[in-house]
Amino acid sequence: MSATGTARRGPGWITRTFVHGISGWLTLLTFIFMLAPIVVLIAFAFNSGRSTVVWTGFSLDWFAKVWSNRHIARALNVSLVVAIASAAIATAIGALAAIAITRRQFPGRDVLGAALAAPLVLPEIVLGVALLVFMSYAGVSLGYRTMIVGHVLVSVPFATLIVRAAASSLDPQLEHAAADLGANEWQTFRMVTLPQLMPALFTSFILAATLSFDNLVMSTFTSGVGTTTLPLRIYSMLKLGITPEINALGTLLVLANVTILFLVMGRYLPLMLKTNRR
Amino acid sequence: MSNSDTGVVELRGVVKRFNSFTAIRRLDLTIKTGEFFTMLGASGCGKTTTLRLIAGFELPSEGRILIDGDDVSEVPAHLRPVHTVFQSYALFPHLSILDNVGFPLTVRRVPRKERLERARAALDLVQMGGFFDRKPSQLSGGQQQRVALARALINEPKVLLLDEPLGALDLKLRKEMQHELKEMQRRLGITFVFVTHDQEEALTMSDRIALMRGGEIVQLDSPTGLYNTPSSLYAAEFIGETNMMPGEVVEVGQGRARVAAFGQELDVRTADAISAGTPVTLTIRPERVAAAGTAGPNRVEGRLREIDFIGTDIRLVYDMPGGTRVTMRRQNIGSAAPVPGEPGWLEFGDGDLRLFRH
Repeated sequence: MSATGTARRGPGWITRTFVHGISGWLTLLTFIFMLAPIVVLIAFAFNSGRSTVVWTGFSLDWFAKVWSNRHIARALNVSLVVAIASAAIATAIGALAAIAITRRQFPGRDVLGAALAAPLVLPEIVLGVALLVFMSYAGVSLGYRTMIVGHVLVSVPFATLIVRAAASSLDPQLEHAAADLGANEWQTFRMVTLPQLMPALFTSFILAATLSFDNLVMSTFTSGVGTTTLPLRIYSMLKLGITPEINALGTLLVLANVTILFLVMGRYLPLMLKTNRR
Repeated sequence: MSNSDTGVVELRGVVKRFNSFTAIRRLDLTIKTGEFFTMLGASGCGKTTTLRLIAGFELPSEGRILIDGDDVSEVPAHLRPVHTVFQSYALFPHLSILDNVGFPLTVRRVPRKERLERARAALDLVQMGGFFDRKPSQLSGGQQQRVALARALINEPKVLLLDEPLGALDLKLRKEMQHELKEMQRRLGITFVFVTHDQEEALTMSDRIALMRGGEIVQLDSPTGLYNTPSSLYAAEFIGETNMMPGEVVEVGQGRARVAAFGQELDVRTADAISAGTPVTLTIRPERVAAAGTAGPNRVEGRLREIDFIGTDIRLVYDMPGGTRVTMRRQNIGSAAPVPGEPGWLEFGDGDLRLFRH
């Protein structure tokens, strides 16, 4: 490195120019490509006119409108209930499955592992249709129950993968130590295994809740009368014509997401930095 | 229940198989109350498996295990009156030092006040007072080892099992801990069952040593017995440093034999029934080889090849007739050392030589 570095125009100068110059610009372009639509969305939320293309002036009216829209409030409520319920159930299933797969020997262990990851590769629309057909066959009316089941189905693979990664990095010696010191299986789980899995369970819950909150396809098939989620509501609003009200709603969602992200990072970032420094 | 004839731990005809692999061939072993018992051997000899069988992490394929007179062969680990100190310490990373040490009491639902008092006392015992609120990751390896020890001792187990507990410590700390462990064992009177691959450690600390190989005990003896009178070539080689010299029995007498080695004949004391013409290996410890000024019985002339300065000792390596090398070890008492290339007479005392058949 130092030999080519001292030669002013050695054979590596093209690479160096690319690395130092062009790659920086490429990074910038990538960011613009990713973030520009969101910036435009947020900007037009403050437009005073009805257009999402032509700027006519600054106003906060659209936010007021979102705030007073009963349908949106109701949809938000539905989304939150479904997100929290399905995330809790998915995380519980994922955690138990992950512990079973990493800690126990039983016949069909590999099959179970594969089956739990299967929804990940199946098209969601197929899952949705299958669930709809099954529910109508079983005579279950569409509503919260069917939607929560659907969302659990979508997020269980992620929950399992996250907790599995954490569970497989646990030191099995610690469980032996707990047993050796007199703890029965339940005490070992409650006092040794579970506390160590907490960060993974938390991550899994947040991810599953986010997936559910975002979900459109599964919700389309499994929602019933009066259980319209926020994405479904936005989608139906689009059909009536786009107004900056949607921009305002989108802006609020971005704000909420970033806030949650920072709260999570604020809790875990110092921890991560500390472990990396060792 | 326990008395001096029945040991605190007894293994009767224990066999352990993992699928097709037999880890323990057949083990009959009695560990006496209050002794410092060591299982010594190279990796894969079955010493750790034996410890895990006593702890209850593995169940025997055949045979019975008794602790304090009770048959615990089928009893799960958490109900056995033994505790283990692991090589990796196995401290709970999410608990403070005090809660780690108090863990055995927490699971037994000992009231909080008593638990904390006893945990503090246990930490004081291992000189780790003042570290109560730290997490294990904030301690050094040696400190973690002390905490693990306090945690295993807090419940006053009948038997303490130690699985290479000093293996991860550096040499100086290891020597200190060896001394401290031995001291603590004497003071508390708890039976220690110690596993190590370090023969020096085993010799320093143990009351008795079981030398293991291939899932069996090769020799069960006191440290001096194991060192001075190894019963096999393997034991002689594994414990300490040993010179090995090929030879052939020429003549057998009452409790002694004459063996041809280095192109001459040496007198060896032996209790073995052995016949003339048998090829054998003679062994002698480097510190038992004596320098002799002149020729004489049981003396062989060699040529000094190299000198290693060790500090307290000097190692002299001699080229002997027939191509064998013999190491002599003597104290560094400041006298002039010979120069490589010089010839010298070495004496092999008839009681210091040991004779093994192939």
